[in-house]
Amino acid sequence: MPDAGIAALMIVAGVAVGTFGSLVGLGGGVLLVPVLTLGFGLPLREAVGVSLVAVIVTSSASAAVYLERHVADLRLGMTLELFTASGALIGGLVAFALSEQVLAALFTAMLVYTALSMARRRDAASTTVSAAASDIASAPSAAAPGTGVGDPGRPYVVRNLGLGIVGSLFAGLVSALLGVGGGVVKVPLMHLAMGVPLRVATATSNLMIGITGAASAIIYLLHGGIDPFVAGPTSVGVFIGASIGSRSAHRVDVRILRLLFVGVLLVTASQMAGRALR
Amino acid sequence: MTTTPALDRRIARLLTAGTYLSIGLLAIGVVLMAIHGVSPLDPSPTFGLDRIPTDIVALKPEGFLWLGLLVTLATPLVRVAVSLHGYLVGGERRMAAVSVAILAVVTVGVVIGLGVAR
Repeated sequence: MPDAGIAALMIVAGVAVGTFGSLVGLGGGVLLVPVLTLGFGLPLREAVGVSLVAVIVTSSASAAVYLERHVADLRLGMTLELFTASGALIGGLVAFALSEQVLAALFTAMLVYTALSMARRRDAASTTVSAAASDIASAPSAAAPGTGVGDPGRPYVVRNLGLGIVGSLFAGLVSALLGVGGGVVKVPLMHLAMGVPLRVATATSNLMIGITGAASAIIYLLHGGIDPFVAGPTSVGVFIGASIGSRSAHRVDVRILRLLFVGVLLVTASQMAGRALR
Repeated sequence: MTTTPALDRRIARLLTAGTYLSIGLLAIGVVLMAIHGVSPLDPSPTFGLDRIPTDIVALKPEGFLWLGLLVTLATPLVRVAVSLHGYLVGGERRMAAVSVAILAVVTVGVVIGLGVAR
């Protein structure tokens, strides 16, 4: 295939991953890494480095919207991202000490976990920005007691900070090792363990991806683990796809899409498992 | 004192600008890849800060791509720096300390990464 054809194919793959990920409420990393490794034959570690760049781009774009609409909890996000960044720092270093097989095995486990989480999720519109905004607008206006964490004036109390810190360290580690945003860890953690409304948790998790991804991506970059000739086309594609997805979410039956997504994740997991067993 | 709504808006504008700048640079790099016949599967160029300006002047795709990647990685860091300024101005010492600690963690990553790169 001509050189421009491969670049165009990567852009198209990025658009598909970004659209699909945005529609079902996940970042592109969970699909982009398998596409780059299984589809384009890239080493897994290199695909992780490229994926980190793509998830930072999409995170920055959507976090801007969440902040503008005052959905993301900046104080909570910054408090927790101190620990996701620390976990990412450790993960970025550990990633270069692990074999491709071990990374593939870890990725397989993450894909199966994500598929199971998606299959259990009931609220189809839980991750859209507009739904998030309406969720906050309809919440009671009583001021939250001074917990020291979370934006003042929010109608909820952030609890279990210790658990949040430990979970955030783990989320950062997962993000750096596997090139994903880590929302599958952070959102349930904030929502179920820390008492943060689901939509605020989703928005805040998104905000945190930027620093988490940057902390490990810098290590990948300086290690020679990010190829700009791959990162360029895929990031542009994922950005376009995420924009398309966020604009068309209300026109698509997300429940059917989510079932399809679960199937895709499980098929991908089986192929990644094959790579782990090589 | 609460700095949240104004700070949120300032950071939102910053993130939007950073995203469009990085995507713009990456898109120029991708177009130049096509013009120069560079394949994504070609060997990756090595990263060197000092080469970026000359590569950009020479319209080499790697110059724009590396700069786009740097802007991508820098955008969240500048967001924390802007937050730090906002919290300091607002007299919120705890959040200012959190912001400094985040920047310190990333700095440790850069130092370790540079050490490994040597």
